[in-house]
Amino acid sequence: MIHLLRVPIIRREEPAPGHVELWLQSPELATSTPGQFADVVTEGMLRRPISFSRIDRANHQVAMLLQVVGDGTRWLAAQRPGTMLDVMGPLGNGFLPPAPARDWCLVGGGVGIPPLYAAVQAWGTHTASRPTVILGARDQQLLLLVDEFQALGCVVEITTDNGTRGRRGTVEAPLCDWLDSHPDGQVYACGPTPMLASVARLTQGRTGIFLALEQRMGCGIGACLACVIPGYGVSGQAGYLRVCTDGPVFRSEELIFE
Amino acid sequence: MKLSVNLPRGLVLKNPIVAASGTFGFGPEYKDLVNIGDLGGVSVKGVSPEPWPGNPPPRVWETTGGLLNSIGLQNHGVEAFCAHDLPFLRDTGTAVIVNIIGHTVEEYQRVAERLAKEPGVSALEVNISCPNIKQGGMSFGHDPDQAYLVTQAVRKGSDLPMMVKLSPNVPSPAVIAEAVQSAGADMISAINTLVGLAIDKERRRPALGGTTGGLSGPAIKPIALRVVYEVAQRVKIPIIGMGGITTASDVVEFLMAGAHAVMVGTVTFQYPRRMQEIVAQLPDELLRWGFSSVQEAVGAALPSKRGGLFDALT
Ligand SMILES: Cc1cc2nc3c(=O)[nH]c(=O)nc-3n(C[C@H](O)[C@H](O)[C@H](O)COP(=O)(O)OP(=O)(O)OC[C@H]3O[C@@H](n4cnc5c(N)ncnc54)[C@H](O)[C@@H]3O)c2cc1C
Ligand SMILES: Cc1cc2nc3c(=O)[nH]c(=O)nc-3n(C[C@H](O)[C@H](O)[C@H](O)COP(=O)(O)O)c2cc1C
Ligand code: FES
Repeated sequence: MIHLLRVPIIRREEPAPGHVELWLQSPELATSTPGQFADVVTEGMLRRPISFSRIDRANHQVAMLLQVVGDGTRWLAAQRPGTMLDVMGPLGNGFLPPAPARDWCLVGGGVGIPPLYAAVQAWGTHTASRPTVILGARDQQLLLLVDEFQALGCVVEITTDNGTRGRRGTVEAPLCDWLDSHPDGQVYACGPTPMLASVARLTQGRTGIFLALEQRMGCGIGACLACVIPGYGVSGQAGYLRVCTDGPVFRSEELIFE
Repeated sequence: MKLSVNLPRGLVLKNPIVAASGTFGFGPEYKDLVNIGDLGGVSVKGVSPEPWPGNPPPRVWETTGGLLNSIGLQNHGVEAFCAHDLPFLRDTGTAVIVNIIGHTVEEYQRVAERLAKEPGVSALEVNISCPNIKQGGMSFGHDPDQAYLVTQAVRKGSDLPMMVKLSPNVPSPAVIAEAVQSAGADMISAINTLVGLAIDKERRRPALGGTTGGLSGPAIKPIALRVVYEVAQRVKIPIIGMGGITTASDVVEFLMAGAHAVMVGTVTFQYPRRMQEIVAQLPDELLRWGFSSVQEAVGAALPSKRGGLFDALT
């Protein structure tokens, strides 16, 4: 059930330069599944889609971790505890949990990292094996939630484009290693589209590969057909899928990357 | 206060606020958030005889006070619409207006004939902004003769109340309005979006997948009012006005410029319940400007109707 809500900010932190995490008090949003998102009124004509970085059902709280990239996110990042936000949600479909007997790995880049953290929080790490988390960023300062993943018991691997922390380069190399040693492993990925395209390529032939996508949106609820990406519909025919309602999480075999 | 609007061929809107085509999906999408039965009507996204794929993404881009879109009329075709979407809308108690599109005159007629057989369609809205593939892609709405032919074909295909939706991207929309009136249109709806462009500086190319897009939202309201005002003086048939409406006060402006009802589009994305709020506020807003019904406000600012206080004094 989608709600139109006015929800208070109850806590605000700055986990990395140019990034702000806002905690919201809302029983309705706290029913979300990891990977779902909310659409927030800022300034301008459209709401801004932001995923949940934390979903705390017991305390009726969620958090959003956002990177300031333009006017809307700048406005949001400037809001203080006590401010009421106009939020529509929860939206989209969310991740399916890993199969009990299978190993799983999470691959995150930039603001794709927060929804993966919500997933590990929800599912725990007492699964077939401890999950591996591969995090990529341009620079070490922009890495998000590293300590938090470690605290939950994940094996964390880091890559930076400039080599300031972890392996230099993209998430591809550590992902290849993990895939080699886990032939039946499942992958959950969220981040920039080129990163998702390479995850899809490297995991070709496997099942249980889930990718969370971003696209510019109009309505956020499936009405305007703005947020599409190429893929295969239920009929199996190539066409356009809506990120807001068919996604944002897709099985890799549903998607067509150029 | 009486908010209902009587339109040709027995079309009755319970109030003058209608969801604009392309911003309210094919019907069910907003059902969790909006009490659809409270709206005067819903104009669904354009429906063609066969499915259309639409344009490559990105399909929307924000601009100052507006929104550019290049959806490209993606839809799953009239059969899927009748099977999956229409049954839902028919039971909501709102007027169901089906926006129709085609690449040829025959396609428009075909979709009109198909919908005429289907119970629950209150009216057709003929979107003549589509490229005419037989005539090299020029939009039907840009030429009075082409607009005439499409309107005539739809009239032949169906007895449903029919409005033709005007493009503002022509020197004189009123000339097109006259042509479609003489071809048998019962109403005019105006305006569709204005052609525009945005640049993605990072990728160094036009921002939208379709290169150009249609501009909507508050930025286009003055243009929409101008078109409604001009068309109202040139044709006798009623006008459904739209373009940038976000408040009940905007609605009164459109009524005074000559519209009998309005459509509300882009603002719904940010505020899904805004149309219902406008319906609730409209009586007070009308009273504030001295009108005791919707009908009284229609055309109040037109030269033929003015003759008010200031004219009497001068
Ligand atoms: C499902 C989903 C989940 C997201 N989760 C997060 C998150 O958890 N944290 C976070 O920081 N960001 C997230 N984003 C990206 C976020 O929506 C954009 O960064 C934000 O909309 C930018 O708005 P702006 O006004 O600051 O930037 P501007 O560039 O000024 O925005 C202009 C327009 O483009 C749109 N836009 C710009 N970038 C994006 C983008 N990457 N994706 C979609 N629309 C965009 C804006 O919504 C707005 O309509 C998510 C996007 C999607 C689609
Ligand atoms: C995303 C989007 C899709 C649209 N699709 C259609 C369409 O399929 N058919 C049509 O006649 N008009 C379409 N329109 C135009 C609107 O119906 C309306 O004419 C225009 O947006 C101006 O009103 P507004 O400023 O209130 O949005 C679309 C507009 C938007 C923003
Ligand atoms: S944003 Fe409107 S359909 Fe997805």
